[in-house]
Amino acid sequence: MALLEVNNLDVRFAMRGGEVRALRDVSFTLERGERLGIVGESGAGKSVAAFTILNLIAKPGYIAGGEIKFDGEVLNTLKPKAMQSIRGNRISMIFQDPMMTLNPVLTIGEQMIECLKAHRRISRKDARAIALHKLNQVFIPSPEKRLDQYPHELSGGMRQRIIIAIALLLDPDIIVADEPTTALDVTIQAEIMELLLLLCEKHNVGLILITHDLGVVSQVTQRTLVMYAGRVIEQGPTREIINDAQHPYTQGLINALPQMATPGSRLNQIRGSMPTLTKIPAGCAFNPRCDFAANICLEKVPAFAHSGNCKVACHMVDAMVAGERWTPIITDANGNGATPTDNHRTEVNT
Amino acid sequence: MSAAILKDAQSSSQASPPMDSAELGETLVEIRDLEKRFSLSGDFLEQLTFEKGRLRRKQEYVHAINGVTLDVKRGEALCVVGESGCGKSTVARTVMGLLKPSGGEVRFDGTRIDNMAPRDLLPYRRRMQMIFQNPYASLNPRMTIQQTLEEPLRFHQPTLKDGEVRDKIEEVMRSVGIDPDWGKRFAHEFSGGQRQRISIARALAVDPEFIVADEPISALDVSIQAQVLNLMMEAQEQRNLTYLFITHDLAVVEHFGTRVAVMYLGTLCELADTRSLFARPRHPYTQALMSAIPRLHDDKPNHIRLEGEVPTPVNLPSGCVFHGRCPHANQRCRTEIPRLIATDTGQVACHAVEEGRID
Amino acid sequence: MSQSNTQSSNAPVTPKTSSIVVPGRWQRFRESYLVYSFKRDWMAQACLLVFIAMVLGAFLAPWIAPADPYDLASIDIMNSELPPAWMAGGDPAFLLGTDAQGRDLLSTILYGTRVSLLIGFGAVILQALLGVTFGLLAGYLGGRIDAFLMRMADIQLSFSTLMVAIVVGAIIKATFGGAAFSDYALILLILIIGLAEWPQYARTVRASVLAEKNKEYVDAARVMGFRSRRIMFRHILPNTLSPIFVISTVQIANAIISEAALSFLGLGMPETQPSLGSLIKSGFDYLQSGSWWITLIPGGVLIVLVLVINLLGDWLRDVMNPRLYKG
Repeated sequence: MALLEVNNLDVRFAMRGGEVRALRDVSFTLERGERLGIVGESGAGKSVAAFTILNLIAKPGYIAGGEIKFDGEVLNTLKPKAMQSIRGNRISMIFQDPMMTLNPVLTIGEQMIECLKAHRRISRKDARAIALHKLNQVFIPSPEKRLDQYPHELSGGMRQRIIIAIALLLDPDIIVADEPTTALDVTIQAEIMELLLLLCEKHNVGLILITHDLGVVSQVTQRTLVMYAGRVIEQGPTREIINDAQHPYTQGLINALPQMATPGSRLNQIRGSMPTLTKIPAGCAFNPRCDFAANICLEKVPAFAHSGNCKVACHMVDAMVAGERWTPIITDANGNGATPTDNHRTEVNT
Repeated sequence: MSAAILKDAQSSSQASPPMDSAELGETLVEIRDLEKRFSLSGDFLEQLTFEKGRLRRKQEYVHAINGVTLDVKRGEALCVVGESGCGKSTVARTVMGLLKPSGGEVRFDGTRIDNMAPRDLLPYRRRMQMIFQNPYASLNPRMTIQQTLEEPLRFHQPTLKDGEVRDKIEEVMRSVGIDPDWGKRFAHEFSGGQRQRISIARALAVDPEFIVADEPISALDVSIQAQVLNLMMEAQEQRNLTYLFITHDLAVVEHFGTRVAVMYLGTLCELADTRSLFARPRHPYTQALMSAIPRLHDDKPNHIRLEGEVPTPVNLPSGCVFHGRCPHANQRCRTEIPRLIATDTGQVACHAVEEGRID
Repeated sequence: MSQSNTQSSNAPVTPKTSSIVVPGRWQRFRESYLVYSFKRDWMAQACLLVFIAMVLGAFLAPWIAPADPYDLASIDIMNSELPPAWMAGGDPAFLLGTDAQGRDLLSTILYGTRVSLLIGFGAVILQALLGVTFGLLAGYLGGRIDAFLMRMADIQLSFSTLMVAIVVGAIIKATFGGAAFSDYALILLILIIGLAEWPQYARTVRASVLAEKNKEYVDAARVMGFRSRRIMFRHILPNTLSPIFVISTVQIANAIISEAALSFLGLGMPETQPSLGSLIKSGFDYLQSGSWWITLIPGGVLIVLVLVINLLGDWLRDVMNPRLYKG
């Protein structure tokens, strides 16, 4: 049995302009000590997925369907008090901006000791000792001094290390990291990712890494989910997805990277942009931007097709795997619009 | 299947190799020994402190730029890279005249512009334009797109008739991929990528020669970054623009830039044409920076580890600003500031390279 | 048959919303969050209704008031201190009773509310003009101008409005005589209250300007070569208007109370041009003798007026507060 199981999760936000379907039928698992990457652009729903695991979604957001199981226990229906003992204790989280995550008016030591005392019955002295030990584990120089310093006295990289230390304070089973290095410089990013990888391997801690950076995912994770408009559209071993992506969106995403284009030539871009989550196109949400869309893509939401070790939510891949013919709707000379009329694209998905 | 698609994509995309730096023309923008300090001390009253029984005046500065000399040649895309705190954005703003230099000078087409009176500077304003990083703050929330785009045009070319202004704006909107019918809408009705296109349109509306782009795609999604970058490349070809492109993303630089300048703590470390820099970075900082980029084919993080932390630009290290973290630092590096020396590919400011200690 | 994913970026990109019709100003307002929130908040609707009723009543006073309290000929001292119509001894002609001089209380209240509202709005317009201008200059130009203007604001704030009114009132009465003061009382009160409270606006606008000054669209305007004046008034000012609306409601309420306080102390509107404050004062002496209605009814009207304005201000502040999810 997997340590974390997410089954058919459906999360919505009741907004003035309509109901935003942030997550639609999202399922994945995480084994003990496994490192999973969740990749997608803004609006894809990856942060929402992370927040939902820890039940941090507040009104007007709500879980409309599905369940989350952690170590056999159902999480989404857990009482608040029971959930509190899971948060920070068995599943901890790292957020994007280190400056906003740390309380500016408390010293580092106070914040770490507070975290420990919230979950364990220990004295301040013992808590301080554990905090010191964790700071050493994340290679912070002169940790005793740091415990009495305030966040603004430290650099961005140091703060993020401290946040990783706080995440590890109670020896959790899973760390959820929501874009932990996006706000950091590239040299610091490399150090932090290396640290995270090292610690997760050493202590057998599971990692859910949420990012838009495919390079980072490639370096650190074992399996990857690619999300688009609230759905998982491709999942499988990271290496396979990077080397041989099957879904047209994933391919487009990889090809759009400057690394993948000839210097000086135009970048390979995906036309259009992700739909707003109140007006998701009928059928496959990617169809307005997909060069391979066929009629079935406009009507039916694709189920997962198995291709190699990966699962891909694409009708075309499904057809290819089954050995059937696939006829996309012809694009016109300008490459504009795979469908004859515009009306199809903006229908609300059921 | 994806490999086939990849090959197809590459062969059918228009391939025009980046400008060879040997073909570069005359110098359009000259930056000489540029310095910029920001005072941290507040006004006079706040500077006075009581120390050791005497009233003393304490002045602290952030040394954002410390002697940068750079030439931007006509027609090229010069990329300035560095991490946060290196001063690249400050250089951009000083070149555009948003900040006054504390030392050194900036010349445009031979004329010194950093000390010009605002009225004399006006014709140069039209020739130099800027694109900013944050698409959500670059457009005035209370003005329609039409107003935002028309205002600069009417200001710089007051003799144009209404119809001509409208036509010009329509043409520039189309060229950046925004439907002119949407001119009456406000900025918040557009997505980040579209807003950045509109910012580019605003810059292009006055037909400039030189555009400074301060991290124009950093705040956008990956797939939108590709769109906007393509747009900028097209604009360069069609309008014969010169770019000063500030970024921290080396992958973009490799793709887009003609020459690259690497900055650290307000100092220029290395300047070379793109291909040479990526093939053979000379400065230790450049080497560390290159190794830190996460590549798709990497299995695990594999980078040059730098010691220590980035020092603050308030108290600059003595000698070479990088000596505290450099694996090749020696005594000379701690005391003497390295000057830019010419190499076969460009310029480097490093004692170790000069002395031949690293290749 | 595989297609390339490359695409020239020249194809027009359709923005987020799919309708082609561009909404006009009125439609935009109707669809805005302000109207949406208003429709759902019964308290705001009730307050606005009462406020409009009072404003209409006050300004239509010459036409709807049963009697003209300024017309000395129509006042009969024999009618003094009559209780409201629903009490014993009341006269239906005087719905809310009469005051010590025989004036109809309802009419006087209507006219008095009008004066209060005039002073309230007039003072706030003056405060706003001064305060916004100074705030803009201080915020945008910074440096010495900022320091000077803010010190002036500090000095201004340390003078209480009442004290200034006393001093100005005393000087004018001494110089030009009591009659002159009575004639110009309305204008003087607007001036005094207006000049006393401009720092509120100045500080609020200055804070907004400081925040907006750092945004890139201001840099873009500077890069274009626009002059400071144009940037301040054309670009920055429209973006600082939301806080101005919010504090204006509170300031109107404050101005009305200030005027009432001044009149109660005898330093404001004279007896012949009653405002709510002076009405309260004139009835104060008769509270003991049982004619409670002369003080308490105008007092109640004042309370309702100020309460309604404050509640509307609260609602406005909540509505204009930028929040992510408004579920």
